[in-house]
Amino acid sequence: MDALYRFLSGPLAWVSFVVFIAGSLYRLLSMGFLVRRKEKFIFSVMSWKYSFRSIFHWITPFASVNMRRHPVMTITTFAFHICLFLTPIFLLAHGVLWDDAFNIHLWALPNGLADIMTLVVIAGGVFFLCRRMKLAEVRYLTTLSDYLLLIMVAAPFLTGFIAYHQWIDYRFFMTLHVLTGEIMLMAIPFTRLSHMLFAPFTRAYMGSEFGSVRHARDW
Amino acid sequence: MKKRRCFYLTAVVVMTLMSICCWRLPVAAQENMTSVDNGDFGRPERTPSIFRHDAHNEKAKIDACNTCHHVYKDGKLVDNESSEDRRCADCHDLKAVGKTPSLRRAFHLRCVGCHEKIGRGPIMCGECHKK
Repeated sequence: MDALYRFLSGPLAWVSFVVFIAGSLYRLLSMGFLVRRKEKFIFSVMSWKYSFRSIFHWITPFASVNMRRHPVMTITTFAFHICLFLTPIFLLAHGVLWDDAFNIHLWALPNGLADIMTLVVIAGGVFFLCRRMKLAEVRYLTTLSDYLLLIMVAAPFLTGFIAYHQWIDYRFFMTLHVLTGEIMLMAIPFTRLSHMLFAPFTRAYMGSEFGSVRHARDW
Repeated sequence: MKKRRCFYLTAVVVMTLMSICCWRLPVAAQENMTSVDNGDFGRPERTPSIFRHDAHNEKAKIDACNTCHHVYKDGKLVDNESSEDRRCADCHDLKAVGKTPSLRRAFHLRCVGCHEKIGRGPIMCGECHKK
């Protein structure tokens, strides 16, 4: 277990960061080149004003008609995404790793709060799972990969939660936590988790088309 | 006169005993210590890390005190000097100052750093900071 943990927290950590950053750059650049080759006219409708107007409406809770129609989904998805993003970055234990290894100091969340935020992510995952299985319009669009993706995102949080509380077998869950975290990080550029990279651009495109071509709102 | 002499004698004896106690105290504490004293952290987020001083050093074959209780002068390690009479926090502040690592980082580098280098001993957070 020790040798595996050393490998995961050493070489594989570097590999996963390189894959994540290089993969993200590759996906963004290749998408940019594809658009330039196939749909060059898009650039003629792009507008900073309409782009940011749309982005602003869609990152503000209940600022779109669709969000107001689905209040439970809106609250869950905002809580889920905020906690998903902030918890791993500002977790004290992760900050200690940065500090010990590179002398880099990050502000950290209190452990109690991070614990609650982790539960929010796990509960959000369960909510999305139930939603996929229950709502006909979502089930219709669901394939096996959607379930795998949900498990992949929830796994580092679930294993991290168990490891933090030192339940069952601490060393096993700690090792599994590092492994699942690295798998998720490496999967971001190459799965539908890439909406993390593309969301601002798709939003900007929608906003620009609705603003400058259709002269309508897109929220 | 006799009373006064008696007072002085008692005072000398008491003070001698007290200094012997104080001098013996850190060593006696080290023998029995089971965890690192984290009293210098304002509000520690984790439990004090488990550390049995003598058992550890016997297992790790550490004889020289200054393997851990080191002394740095002008950024350089001083050989043949040790600092077991001082607290780590005397030199290591809660925040890093210049090249001197913060107290938390100093503890982690001293313990985990060595464990990683020699490939033995606990390296995961919860192996030392037990709930």
